[in-house]
Order: sequence, then C-alpha cells, then structure tokens
Amino acid sequence: MAVPAAELGTRAGLNGRAVGLRRLLGPDYRMGYLFVAPIAFFVLSLVGYPFCYAIYLSMTHKLVGLPPVFVGFENYIRLTGDGFFQRAVVNSFVFTFGSVGCKLVLGVVMALVLSSHIRWRSFWTGVLLIPWVAPTVVSALNFLWIFDGSLGVLNYLLVRVLHVLPQGVGWLSEPGTAMASVVAVNVWRGFPFFGISFLAGMKAIPAELYEAAAVDGAGALPRFRHVTVPGLKNIMIIVVLLSTIWTFNDFQIVYILTKGGPGGTTMVMPVLTYETAFGAQRLGEAIAVALYLLPALAVTIMVLARYMRKGRKR
Amino acid sequence: MSRGGRLQGALGYAVLGGLGLVVLFPFYWMTITSFKSEDQMRSLVSMFWPRPFATENYRQLLARTDFASWYRNSVVVAVSSTLLATAVGTIGAYALARLRFLGRGFMASATLITYLVPPSILFIPLYAQMRNLGLANSLGGLIAAYPSFTVPFVTWLLMGYFESIPEELEEAAMIDGATRFGAFYRIVLPLSAPGVLAAALYAFTQAWNEFLYALVFITDGRLRTLPVGLASFITGDVYGWGSLMSGAVLTTLPVIAAYIYLQKYMVEGLTAGGVKG
Repeated sequence: MAVPAAELGTRAGLNGRAVGLRRLLGPDYRMGYLFVAPIAFFVLSLVGYPFCYAIYLSMTHKLVGLPPVFVGFENYIRLTGDGFFQRAVVNSFVFTFGSVGCKLVLGVVMALVLSSHIRWRSFWTGVLLIPWVAPTVVSALNFLWIFDGSLGVLNYLLVRVLHVLPQGVGWLSEPGTAMASVVAVNVWRGFPFFGISFLAGMKAIPAELYEAAAVDGAGALPRFRHVTVPGLKNIMIIVVLLSTIWTFNDFQIVYILTKGGPGGTTMVMPVLTYETAFGAQRLGEAIAVALYLLPALAVTIMVLARYMRKGRKR
Repeated sequence: MSRGGRLQGALGYAVLGGLGLVVLFPFYWMTITSFKSEDQMRSLVSMFWPRPFATENYRQLLARTDFASWYRNSVVVAVSSTLLATAVGTIGAYALARLRFLGRGFMASATLITYLVPPSILFIPLYAQMRNLGLANSLGGLIAAYPSFTVPFVTWLLMGYFESIPEELEEAAMIDGATRFGAFYRIVLPLSAPGVLAAALYAFTQAWNEFLYALVFITDGRLRTLPVGLASFITGDVYGWGSLMSGAVLTTLPVIAAYIYLQKYMVEGLTAGGVKG
C-alpha cells in the first residue's frame, strides 16, 4: 500500500518529537516509565490515596457503616484533653525509647563479639538472627506462655529451680512488670537487626585505622570510642531511626501480650487506634489517634530517608 | 595468644553463649510444650523434656480446628504477594537504579518514603478501600494490600543491589548490539539472582508474618491466615497451650527451614541492601 505524503510528514514530525521528548524526559524514558509504572500504581493506590483519605477521615465523625460527617480538628482537640489518650502517648514513648535503647546496647555487643576472633562465626550469626526472621506472632505467643503467671516456665525457673523469688509473678498481669515485659519481648525480637547492621558497618571500617590507633598506643576502649563509633555513626543513626519508627508503631507484640492492660499500663498508640476503631467503632477518632504525632513521624521519615539515600551514594 | 587475648576470647564465647541461650530458649520451649500432654503441663512434671512424648496436640490441632485451612490461606497469600512484589520490584528497581528519565529521583524518594510509612496509620483507610472494592473478608483483599509494604521493600533492597553491579557490563553488551532491555535481561538479571532471591525470601517472610491487616480485613474464621488464626486461640481459650504451641511450631517451620537453607543469601541481602552506611 502506498503511503500518502501527508502521513510521511507526520512520521518525520513524530521522529522530531521523539527526539524532543528524549531530550525533555531523558534518554531511557520509555523503558523507564514502563518499568516504574507498576510501582507508581501500588504506591499511589495503596499508600498515597489511603494516607490522604486517612487525613480526611481523622477530621470527621465516622461510625462504621455510616457516612462521615466533617468536624474539622474536633477529634484532635478532644484527644488532647483525654487522660487515657495522654497516658497512651506517654506509654508509647516509654515503650519505644526503652526498647530502642536496649536494642542499641545489645546490638553493639552482638556486633563486637561477632567481629572478634571466634570460631564458627557464620553459625553464631545465623543463630542470633533467628528472632528477626521468625514470625513475630509466634514469638509473642511463646513469651505469653513463658510469662504465664501460674504455669509459665519463667516463674518455675525463678521460684523452684533458682529460688530467687518466694512466689511467682504475674509478669504481664501486674502493673509493675507489664511494661518491662513487653519491652523485653520487643528487644528480644529487634536486637539482631541492630547487631547485623553494625557488623556490616564494622567490616567497612578500614583495618589501617585500627592499626594506626594501636601503633599510637590506644587500648581497646579508646579504639572503640575513636575508631569504631565514628565509623558506625551513619549506620547507627539509620538503624536507630528505623527502629524508632517500627517500635513506635509496633502493634502485634503488645496486642498479643497484654492488649494494653493491665489497667492501661501498656496501652500504646497503635493498640489504642485499633481498640477505638474496632472496639468502640469510632473510625474518625481512631485515625486521629494514629495521625496525632504525624508531624514528628514526617520529620523522622524525611531525616531517615535522607540518610538512607546518602548511605547508598557512597 | 596473650593472656589478655585469651581472657577476651573467653568473654566473647560467654556473651555468645548467653545471647544464644536467650535467643533459642523460646523455640526450645515452644517445641517441647507442643509434645506435652495437658496433664504434664498442669502438674508441672517433666518440665524440660516431655516424658512420654505426646502427639495428641498435633492431632487435635489438625482434626478439631481450622488450622489446615489457615495454612493453605497463608501459603496462597504469601506466595502470590511474593511473586507480585518480586516481579514489580525487580523491574522498578532496575529503572530507578540505572535508567535515565525525568522524575527518577522523585520516584526513588517516594518509594523509600512509602517503605517507611507504618501500617498502623494505613490499616483503617485500606480496610475502607477494600470494602468499597468488595475485597473485604477475602484473601484477594490481603493479596491486594500486601504490596503496600512488600513492593517498596523489594524495590529499595534491589536498587542497592543493581547499583553495585558495574555499569560497564551493560555498556559492553549494548556496544555489541544488545538492546537496553536485552542488557537488563541477559546480563544484569542473571548476575542479580542472589539479590532477587534474598528480596523474594524477605517479601515472603513479611507476608507470611503479617498480622494487622489480616486481623482487620478478615472476619470469617476459616479465611484467617496463620498468625491471626494462632492468636485467636488465646481469646478462644478452648484448646490450651499444647495445641497453640504445636500450631506455632508448624507456623515457624517453613520460615526457619528456608532461612537455614538460604541463610547466606539472606544475611548478605540484608546487609547489602537493607542499610549501608
């Protein structure tokens, strides 16, 4: 079939436009957009849109099954004066900083030990990483059973085997020990991630730095302070910020171990969000609980994202 | 070795032993509990080794609960969301790591930020969305929702992996006449197989372990996934610790088996792609 002259003209025009597009959108724009399109779809539909919808819902009175009624900042203002909510905020901070602090210390210990001269290093690394890969629900249920007041093995060990306690403690049912117990479980699950990340960071510190410090007569402690810690600084910031976000939003450990009890002593914000939404059926208020600290979360995410991208570009 | 060195070594093994004990004890305890009869547990006998081994917990679990359907549900959800996330994340990560086009930096940042947004602020609007789509209370809803965390994670992990592969390899292939896609498919992808495998394994573990969405989206008892099904034992309060722990053992097995078998890739994947300082 003969090609009309006019169409030839448009083809040349198309080619010219394609060159223009390449200049505007970059040399690989076709394959680039094709490959990125699915991610863009998931990011927009599963995170972007729900996130915006969440902000809208938090400004409404929304009961399950009824249309939302816009009320502005009323939910946030009401929460600010609510004693139970205030306690949940305080509990969340105690839970988060207690856990992250312990994980940081244990992570450094784990990395130091694994980087020293030991046999079967990869075996030990593998063993210590198990809590990180095992299903969290399983771990939480295991500890629920270990901490059990009457039949739990922790009380059995402490009372009948080691004789350090006169009688068993209801680890999760007494206000004095409940928070420490849930923190312990979170630490148990999370410290391997700190350790393995620090270990990777330590491997990246040039050996010459240690040798130079040793030549200068620096002992083990000064070497740790002046070589290891500065070398790990970036990775420590990344891991601590990541873990702070994860811990602050940890739902399953607290939900399974205490559901926020006894008497609200372990009620943290994600569990309160869930209870307000599916116990009290007040969806608008529930989202306001979840979004209450959004400015702080946003700042943390921005700082963290910057560090993570910088770490990659090395 | 000097005396100080030997002392340090001994201290190192002591710390390792202590940490190892704390890490492994819950799994040991879970396993032996699953083989104890209700009587052995109630009367605190044969505390640290079941005598005799009882298999009634496992039989009860499989015969009297929906555990088998939960297992099937978890496999369906975890496998399909892993395949989806790995496919989408691999090509996306390659584009974000290598290709030059307008908006690449923005998309890379958006993906990373998405990875950091916690599920606790997304689960209510996502639930509303799934209800509008008619996907609430179905495995389809979970398969549709899990890419919200698996896709950004896989993408971020593999971006780091692709960036570590020398660009010259692709350039050489393209000089020899390969197309851009050919260079990706024939050169980069085979070289990245260990990274893709590690990313897929992590995506699988994350989907297998997911709790909050599965708890909220699914109301039908038979449609639960393993984590939610297991946790329902404690509120149901019917079947006792033995059955619960036998369920926990069976839930942990596939993850730990994969981990033992592929530990090298998973540790490398985590340290190469997860964070890098």
